Amino acid sequence: MRRWDSARQARDARLSAASGLMRGKQVRPDDVTALLEAVIRPGDRICLEGDNQKQADFLARALVQADPAILHDLHVVQSGIVLPEHLELFEAGIATRLDFSYSGPQGAALARALDRGRIALGAIHTYSELFARYFIDLTPNVALIVARQADRHGNLYTGPNTEDTPTIVEATAFKDGIVIAQVNEIVDSLPRVDIQGDQVDVIVQSPTPFHVEPLFTRDPAAMTETQILMAMMAIKGIYAEYGVTRLNHGIGFATAAIELLLPTYTERLGLKGKIATHWALNPHPTLIPAIESGWVEQIHCFGSEVGMDEYMRARPDVFFTGHDGALRSNRMLCQNAGLYACDMFIGATLQIDLDGNSSTVTPGRIAGFGGAPNMGSDPHGRRHASPAWLKAGREASDARSGLVRGRKLVVQMVETFGDAMAPAFVETLDSLALAERLGLPLAPVMIYGDDVTHIVTEEGIANLLLCRGRDEREQAIRGVAGYTPVGRARDRGMVERLRARGIIRRPEDLGVNPLDADRSLLAARSIKDLADWSGGLYRPPSKFRNW
Amino acid sequence: MSAVASCRAASWLEASARARVAGLLDQGSFVEFLGPEQRAMSPHLRQFDLPRAFDDGVVVGRGLLGGVRVFVAAQEGRFMGGTFGEVSGAKIVGLLRAARDRAAPSPPDAVLLLLDTGGVRLQEANAGELAVSEIIRAIAELRHAGLPVIALVGGRAGAFGGGGIIAACCTALVISQHGRTSVSGPEVIETNKGVEEFDSKDRALVWRITGGRTRILSGAADRYVRDEIAAFRDAAIALAGLTPPPFACETLRAAQTRLVARRERNGACRDATELWAGDGIDEPDQVPDLTEDAFIALLSARSAQHDRR
Repeated sequence: MRRWDSARQARDARLSAASGLMRGKQVRPDDVTALLEAVIRPGDRICLEGDNQKQADFLARALVQADPAILHDLHVVQSGIVLPEHLELFEAGIATRLDFSYSGPQGAALARALDRGRIALGAIHTYSELFARYFIDLTPNVALIVARQADRHGNLYTGPNTEDTPTIVEATAFKDGIVIAQVNEIVDSLPRVDIQGDQVDVIVQSPTPFHVEPLFTRDPAAMTETQILMAMMAIKGIYAEYGVTRLNHGIGFATAAIELLLPTYTERLGLKGKIATHWALNPHPTLIPAIESGWVEQIHCFGSEVGMDEYMRARPDVFFTGHDGALRSNRMLCQNAGLYACDMFIGATLQIDLDGNSSTVTPGRIAGFGGAPNMGSDPHGRRHASPAWLKAGREASDARSGLVRGRKLVVQMVETFGDAMAPAFVETLDSLALAERLGLPLAPVMIYGDDVTHIVTEEGIANLLLCRGRDEREQAIRGVAGYTPVGRARDRGMVERLRARGIIRRPEDLGVNPLDADRSLLAARSIKDLADWSGGLYRPPSKFRNW
Repeated sequence: MSAVASCRAASWLEASARARVAGLLDQGSFVEFLGPEQRAMSPHLRQFDLPRAFDDGVVVGRGLLGGVRVFVAAQEGRFMGGTFGEVSGAKIVGLLRAARDRAAPSPPDAVLLLLDTGGVRLQEANAGELAVSEIIRAIAELRHAGLPVIALVGGRAGAFGGGGIIAACCTALVISQHGRTSVSGPEVIETNKGVEEFDSKDRALVWRITGGRTRILSGAADRYVRDEIAAFRDAAIALAGLTPPPFACETLRAAQTRLVARRERNGACRDATELWAGDGIDEPDQVPDLTEDAFIALLSARSAQHDRR
């Protein structure tokens, strides 16, 4: 006779094994490692909540201290490998398998650990993809999550940084998993309930508040004239050309420059209200001047940003907020919104090859993926029309049958030479060599070339939608690759013919004078200016101050 | 939005060394010595495969400031951190000596040093250290001759290392909120003494310790101005018109007495907010975040001005 509730019984057994350490749902910080040893079993899939912003850092430290004789062979399934403890789990032999999305600051250490064979890597996912697998074949057995506050029933208040938490809890709690939350404080009543208490098994008050990384703050003081030039070209050649109202921006400086040109240069072009009104976007401080100038209708956020809480609380017409007034972010829903309801993604990358494939992998560094692969892909499931989407579709189509489907605009914005004068255009992505060295079945590619519609560099814009055939794509890319070896190897005659057809457009073709690309065009030239624009509501973290 | 609109006035912080000189002096009066067309460049940087600049990051020349003949040197903080190298240092030394010798055809009545520097250029450190010493000596000679030497600090690099010492040796120092002066920079202190002693990543702390507001409140600077070229110009005109205190033993003794008293009063303080609290400033934690208007009002309400020199 088959038992149909074995997972539920296992869950009950685990929780009763830990019952001596708990008072109600609460456990003392000193007992957390013992509790984890009681409720986690070897081979479990665990999610140690941590993305590119907030971190369940106390629980991470507690898990690392577990006895590898008791806890071993864990399979880590989480979006971010960000804290040193995330990798220490593998060094200590507590965890052996990994499926993740983003590794940012641990990119180099992760590559070293893979090299040494400490980690059996499943895959590097996009966020939506990993969350999807939570419900199919990577459901966590135990989720270690983080929130700002809990009440005694285990209800959680995440505050503005809700991020991945609802998705992790949904997958874990409703499939007989165990949910353990670290909180900054335990209170009698919460400002709002982000996670229902009956989905949370254990709460612990961490000795220090959880860490949040300000990942989306770009200091206007560091913006260069080259980035401003690229921003001017993108505004005229893409935003205005396609009438893009619904969009997502990456976190690079060139897109931040676009945000700062909206109330100045772009307003003088008469584009206010016609472009950039609806956003899937983290709360970028550089968007404050555009919001204050009335450019932005609404923004849905993946996560929050350090220092922006009070500003967003004061702008509920623009941001999604709870009845308590604070932002409510949600990474999975915002990823979905960006995929299906935005007409454009525009972001930066480190390497682009001759087919337009791009990657942020460099030798010895696996940064993983942020939102870009999902945002920067054409959703084949989309069925609603918009002028920008249809225009892009028409440009790509040969339209013999009269049937045209739209295309998402996917724009890569790169300077031809990046940090340390590394060329952004390459014959072969470094990602391929890395995949071979580590035996990965799939080389990490941030955005596939067939999804890319435009490449913007300081030399011009290449419109890949209008290219017919691989040769034209290659020459269009070489034609904006500047003085990189890839750019110097262009076929000059063909590049000029592509320019005559409007496939390559130089600044002068767009009516942009490079000498006008000046920092005085920026609506804010410092973090202080941004704080002033916000009327003091934006409180920048100390690392960005120069006063 | 008026607060933002007003900060759009030509910013000292944003401007290049040349733009600062052009905006500081009477319009069109600047005549450059040893300009970039002469290509007096660093002989050392090429060995390190580093880019050079045609002016080695320093602009020197003469001009008029409110009708007064001045010599001026301006460091370009965005080239090699505005550092003192062999050529860039020699340009400043030469300018100061020419001023001392009342060089024809336009002997100056004041000298302006637009400092924007991290200190000595490490790739040519011996020459740079010598230049700093020679500059300090030349400033002493100028002051002895009764010429005001006015330092203006409001660039991104601040005035650190030898630049901090030079700023302190001048007749007067004009500073803005973004300006910083110190000898050892934050990274140097952290490297030598540890992050517990000084966290160079805590930029609010860096500015609380070395920034313009702290320097004016402690008496280490003489004028506090908004981050506007016009404001620096107004302050420089006012200071160039004052008769400098005699560069004599009693002036130096008075400065020494004041500094000793300051150390006795503040030696145990760990942060600028403690100094300000001890100085009777209400809500010292708010000082860095006050608007420029409010901070300037606070300064003018403080009766006891320090006699810095």
